Amino acid sequence: MAALELSSVRKTYTSGDAEIVALDHATLEVGDDEILALVGPSGSGKTTLLSISGGLLTPSEGTVVVGGQDISTYSAKQLTAFRRDSVGFVFQAVNLVPFLTARENLMIVNDFGSSRSHKDAKARAEKLLDELGLSHRVDNLPGQMSGGERQRVAIGRALMNEPALVLIDEPTSALDTKLGEQVMELIVSEVKSRDTAAVIVTHDQRMTRYADRTVTITDGVLAA
Amino acid sequence: MKLGLVELRRKPLRFAIAGSSLVLLSVLLLFLGGLLDGLFIGSTGLLRSQPGELVVYSSDAKDSLIRSRIDPEVRAKVEAVPGVSATGGIGVALVGGQLPDKTDLVNLSVTAFQLPVSSMPSDVSLAPDQALADRSLQAFGVDVGDTLLVGSAKTPITVTGWVSDTDYLQQGGFFVQPDTWREVLADSRPDSNLPPDTFQGLTVKLDSGADATTVADAIDAATGGATSTLTKSEAVQALPGIKEQNSTFSAIIYVTLFVAGLVVALFFALLTLERIGLYSVLKAIGASSRQIFGGVVIQAVIVALVSFVIGGVLMWLLTLVLPAEIPVAMEPARAVQIAVGLVVMSALGAAVSLRRVVRVDPASAIG
Amino acid sequence: MLAGKEIRRAKLRFGLLSGAVGLLVFLILFQQALLGSLLLSFTGALENQSGTVLVFSEEARKNVSGSVILPPEQAQIAAVEGVGSSAGLAEGTFTIEAKGTDVDASIFGFQPGGPGEPTRLVEGRLPTTPTEAVASKEDASDGFGLGDTVTSVDGGITLTIVGLTERSRFSVAPTLWVTFDGYTALRKASNPDATAVLPSVIALTPAPGVSASQLAASVNEQVDGVQALTRSQAVNEAPGVSSVNTSFQLILVLAFLVVAVVIGFFFLILTVQKQSTLTVLRAVGAPTSYLVKALLKQIFLVVGVGLVVGILLTLGAVKGASAGLPISLEPTTMVVTAVGVVLLSLVGSLFTLLRVGRIDPADVMNRQNAGGLA
Repeated sequence: MAALELSSVRKTYTSGDAEIVALDHATLEVGDDEILALVGPSGSGKTTLLSISGGLLTPSEGTVVVGGQDISTYSAKQLTAFRRDSVGFVFQAVNLVPFLTARENLMIVNDFGSSRSHKDAKARAEKLLDELGLSHRVDNLPGQMSGGERQRVAIGRALMNEPALVLIDEPTSALDTKLGEQVMELIVSEVKSRDTAAVIVTHDQRMTRYADRTVTITDGVLAA
Repeated sequence: MKLGLVELRRKPLRFAIAGSSLVLLSVLLLFLGGLLDGLFIGSTGLLRSQPGELVVYSSDAKDSLIRSRIDPEVRAKVEAVPGVSATGGIGVALVGGQLPDKTDLVNLSVTAFQLPVSSMPSDVSLAPDQALADRSLQAFGVDVGDTLLVGSAKTPITVTGWVSDTDYLQQGGFFVQPDTWREVLADSRPDSNLPPDTFQGLTVKLDSGADATTVADAIDAATGGATSTLTKSEAVQALPGIKEQNSTFSAIIYVTLFVAGLVVALFFALLTLERIGLYSVLKAIGASSRQIFGGVVIQAVIVALVSFVIGGVLMWLLTLVLPAEIPVAMEPARAVQIAVGLVVMSALGAAVSLRRVVRVDPASAIG
Repeated sequence: MLAGKEIRRAKLRFGLLSGAVGLLVFLILFQQALLGSLLLSFTGALENQSGTVLVFSEEARKNVSGSVILPPEQAQIAAVEGVGSSAGLAEGTFTIEAKGTDVDASIFGFQPGGPGEPTRLVEGRLPTTPTEAVASKEDASDGFGLGDTVTSVDGGITLTIVGLTERSRFSVAPTLWVTFDGYTALRKASNPDATAVLPSVIALTPAPGVSASQLAASVNEQVDGVQALTRSQAVNEAPGVSSVNTSFQLILVLAFLVVAVVIGFFFLILTVQKQSTLTVLRAVGAPTSYLVKALLKQIFLVVGVGLVVGILLTLGAVKGASAGLPISLEPTTMVVTAVGVVLLSLVGSLFTLLRVGRIDPADVMNRQNAGGLA
């Protein structure tokens, strides 16, 4: 079963009288343990594709199936629950909660209404941080960590709900090349070891070698 | 783990701004409430402490004890009314009293009683030169065993015990035998001289099961309109200024509570603005608007409660340094009213940010 | 331009702030109006009578209603050196029928021609016979108008109003001024058991060259059992007045503090939130004075709107609410309050103004927005 299936997904915005096509009949399938790199210049529609795949935006046309769920017609409320339970996000700007420790930043996901108990959540958060090499940072606030460490905490948060699909937005843009490579390696190993699929959006061609497959996007049109 | 609560604990300074304003407003509210209650208590204790359910004045006295006179004939008529089980004469003289070795005078309401008031032992007995003083007079240096020189004739009267909550028109209750009171009254105001057995008012105890207003009407009918009989609470409300005081102070308290709501609305609107980015991330990873908004309201409520507690402590410290002449009373019911008002207004104030929280777009977390 | 644009973009926030300031100004003004009127209706009669020294019996504790001066003391007081003239002034509460309804009135009995006469006569003349009286203009519409007759309920003595005073009420009640003889008749009629009608206080005027406070001091020195006060002391130290004063002052201080704190913190947060924008503005050439002026403009605008709202509310409330006493707002109170609010909001914003003044345009280079929320 595919982790992500986009069929003829179209997304348009209206700006005044003009219609802007952000994504034009995109069809894409990501296997359940596949890592896909999505490459394109800025404004190409890669962020729109990522947002639609993660239930942050709904498509204007076409269907979106994530882990077997067709989310194309989900309500805002259903999408909120979907994001909480079924996908993981790693944002470009890290975006950890500044006043929460590393462990709490992972556990916050559980706070939004998961069926997992507080104790289980805590155990899982600590295990993830340990795997990410952050066992010494469990009780530190984001402000006390390096950029790479923060990025690793963000990866841990994305994996917290055991998602079928992890969506990663420009993970290396704020890091230097060496650190970026380390983070990419970590992402790949974490994702692979869990048989989880991932879509990584990047504009950095060098990072595509970590992916199983690379798709480029130009002006809203996908090209393998 | 609740996000809102953790933020409060980790970043208390972020809330100190709204909090400090609310602390000041709490002190203001508690002071206003305390003053209102203090004025009420200090003015009405004598009437509220009476053992009877009804108070009888002469009808020409405009429901004022000082101008009322009930002579023995009228009293006999009152006692004959069915439903009346007992009557007690009451009278008051507002005079000064001088403490030993002091030049300053304390304000006394020298009160005559025949039926013991609520804070007296039922078998109370006093000699003509003895009195029970209200505990409020302690603040002015009065103590059991002191002999005060009372009124114009400087009648020596010794305090033999305490009563409480019996003050009248802001003068400390000073309970004496009826004859002692008549003597003090005649010395201080020769023009208000009263013959023996005449009192200013009566407290009327009812037979069990008798309806107070029915008996009151019956008494006024039996005396041919010579009396004006009020229930205890009516008598309290009839005191000069009590109603106006209540409505004016209450209006000021409500406006102040409204200000508190606006202040909370203002500062939480600013806080929410700072947190738009955070909220979009939280929404992107699965938080609902309801959860985020709930956290904001809980923060406002806790800030209000903590501010109220700090304000309460400050107010308590303030009462220690305020002069005894300022009648501030801290009543638990008033504190609860103010605390509830603050919490409700803060929750409402925080609700102003609801629209903004709902409008945060989770998609803005990306790109 | 900057200042106005920001306010237009953030109407809710500036609206809330102006609303809060407006209500606080309203609280401050309304309470001052209330206090002023309350005090005047409590002690206006003492303030506006001709005796510059008032002698109370000592145990009255400066309370006219509780004071009584016996004939021997009266003679002793009159004999004190420095007394120009002396006269008894009596005060009592009577039930009076006016316009068909019974009301409590405070009646003063004064010696015509002697100290203790009302000084703020605005219409008519002073009473000359025992059945004539001067009433308060404030109560004229309640049956105490010029030419009206009122009757004491106990004893049925009828008085004709021959003159009106202003600002001369006492104990928040309708106040009548009658001759001492008239007062004696009223007293005796209401209480047949009364043995003698005595003055409550003695009003004095000092002899030429003697000041009121000197005279009060010599009376206190030479006569036992009495307490002489100058007129202003008698007004300010009247029972209840000083505690009412202290209480209201405390309330006003707290309200003013809230104004300063709320305004100060609001602009501080706003400035911190847009610090990077301000830094950029400095970097592209905006002088510090431009930013400070923009901030000041906003403060004045908010305070101005708040003052207008507060004053309008107060005027409305003063008109609408007649809580048993006529409330009026003095223009000077308004001006002093307005100036106070403006000054306090500037003091509250001082820290923010300094912060804006210290913004370093060079920071624009090292203040790279990392994008995080930390």
